[in-house]
Amino acid sequence: MAGLHLEHLSKHFGATVAVRDVTLRVGEGEFLVLLGPSGCGKTTTLRMIAGFIAPTTGRVHLGGREITALPPWRRNAGIVFQSYALFPHLTVAENVAFGLEMRKLAKDEIASRVSEALRLVRLGSLGERLPRQLSGGQQQRVALARALAIRPDVLLLDEPLSNLDAKLRETVRIEIRELQRQLGITTVMVTHDQEEALIMADRLVVMSDGEVKQVGTQRELYEHPADRFVAGFVGRSSFLPGTITGPGRFETKGGLAIACASGLTGPAVIALRPERLALGPSASGLDNHLQGTVELVSYLGASVDVHVRVSPADRIVVTQPNRIDSRTPEEGEKIAVGWPAGAAVVFPDDGSTARL
Amino acid sequence: MSASATDDGLVSLAAREARGGRLSMAGLLIGPATIFVTIGLLLPILILFRYSLNDFKPGLLMVDTLTINQYVLFFTDPYYLAAFWRTLRVAVAVTVICVILSFPLAYKLARTQSRYKNLLIMLVVLPLFVGNAVRAAGWITAFGNKGFVNVTLQWLGLIDEPIRIMYTEFAVIVGIVAVNLPYVVLTLQSIIEGIDRSVEEAAYSLGADPLTMARRVLWPLALPGFAAGAIFCFILAMNAYATPVLLGGPQFVMMGPLVYVQFAVKSNWPFGASVSFVLMTATLLLTAAANLMVLRRYRN
Repeated sequence: MAGLHLEHLSKHFGATVAVRDVTLRVGEGEFLVLLGPSGCGKTTTLRMIAGFIAPTTGRVHLGGREITALPPWRRNAGIVFQSYALFPHLTVAENVAFGLEMRKLAKDEIASRVSEALRLVRLGSLGERLPRQLSGGQQQRVALARALAIRPDVLLLDEPLSNLDAKLRETVRIEIRELQRQLGITTVMVTHDQEEALIMADRLVVMSDGEVKQVGTQRELYEHPADRFVAGFVGRSSFLPGTITGPGRFETKGGLAIACASGLTGPAVIALRPERLALGPSASGLDNHLQGTVELVSYLGASVDVHVRVSPADRIVVTQPNRIDSRTPEEGEKIAVGWPAGAAVVFPDDGSTARL
Repeated sequence: MSASATDDGLVSLAAREARGGRLSMAGLLIGPATIFVTIGLLLPILILFRYSLNDFKPGLLMVDTLTINQYVLFFTDPYYLAAFWRTLRVAVAVTVICVILSFPLAYKLARTQSRYKNLLIMLVVLPLFVGNAVRAAGWITAFGNKGFVNVTLQWLGLIDEPIRIMYTEFAVIVGIVAVNLPYVVLTLQSIIEGIDRSVEEAAYSLGADPLTMARRVLWPLALPGFAAGAIFCFILAMNAYATPVLLGGPQFVMMGPLVYVQFAVKSNWPFGASVSFVLMTATLLLTAAANLMVLRRYRN
């Protein structure tokens, strides 16, 4: 087992910069998730750790040893690919044994480690099958067993759940998480699915445009997003663009005056978490108290999303828990929205507003 | 029970009708090709086989009879046997060389991310736009005593006297390799393209160096395609005509030209027919044997 350290890692493809100056430390046994939209550089970062792509600048250290120049076959990194990449001409057991044969282990040692790995992923009885005779979920577990059998210094997961159907994904992500914790294996996973990331990670790295935007735990990212991108990508937010007009005073482009807790000045954006807002009578007496019209109601089962228009330019989404005694507002209804000043996060408006 | 049986009957009837409609449409579409193959290929082959069992009398030409004389003549005359072995040797050499030369190129073509990929493939196909005879003529200018190769070697001081390249087995093999290479490259390329690239990466990540990866993963997965490409190349080489005639000269007799000479020059149809059949049978047998070997390898 070993820690992983990325030091000022960059990758340029011609004139485009895929990854820019990424520095990360993954602790021994930690589960780190690289989260971001497609094209944000997360997969390129993972492939540099695996050794499939040589970084333009920067270094990779694994277990205190620099591996930047080592080819993938000398890195001892176990990888689970998005497509699983099982060897179609080999049986399940032969797939799992492949890495052990490469390490020139004795036959009986290989046999016992193969059956141990297959037992870990609950595929003990399917060793003689060919990959094409397995379901998608089983193939995924073979890929995991194959990566774990070599007892890698680091486990790399490249969107490992994206080819499973939604229901299966829910159970598999818990299984992988528990297995990872039980084995105490340093793990880096790449995903664009924030729910998956939140459930599985010890710590998350939010990436965008080849850069690390923020590193932190789920709570840190959610409560204190570093910028507007993170606030929009991790969890949901309603954004109100405007200007800070004085200490604690904010005016939206739509002309609403809002109290906020921020020392910023100039153009800014307020981000509101939908479940931190109060609706109807419970909104009265809070620092901010706006009147609006319900434009859209989405019934989601456990909760209800209410979209409220508070000015011609501003709309706010409020999530209400669907309690037995709660009343769902109707579309077109006049309603009050409120929140304490401290519930909102304020970002300087750097012009990136237009993108979201 | 009986009701459901009737239902099933109705359902299957409807299904059969639909299927029948599709079948007759399919029949319409494959009909012309089937008729063409029957009349244009199978029938002449049957007639040819019948001719090969006739006898040849100088002056009378073909004499109707039923004899294996022509085959006996072929397999007892050292001249014809030499032509047979020579053809086999050239075809095997061409096939081996083509497969070895094609693989790196096919791999590169299959895996390239270049936006000029289609252009590169066109470059591979381009030589096929030039007919075999024209291409062989090109080789003649390169291989002659005052040809490009000899002049260059002399200029470099590697040889004093021109070496004989024209009318050698070497020239013929080079010529046929040049003809067959594009076919083999394209076959292999399409096979390698069908192999998921991450499978190679998985092998690397598990500790396989590129050679081991190629041997344990790429090769077994590409084997059926290799076999198809090799068999195609072998058949083309066995039946080569223009290249051996032009680059091999009158002394270098291969089976294809031999058939032509018997029919067109000597008017010996029975013997020409039997030579054709020996060539066809040998090609088919060797192809089938290669196929079987690959299938067995692949299953294990």
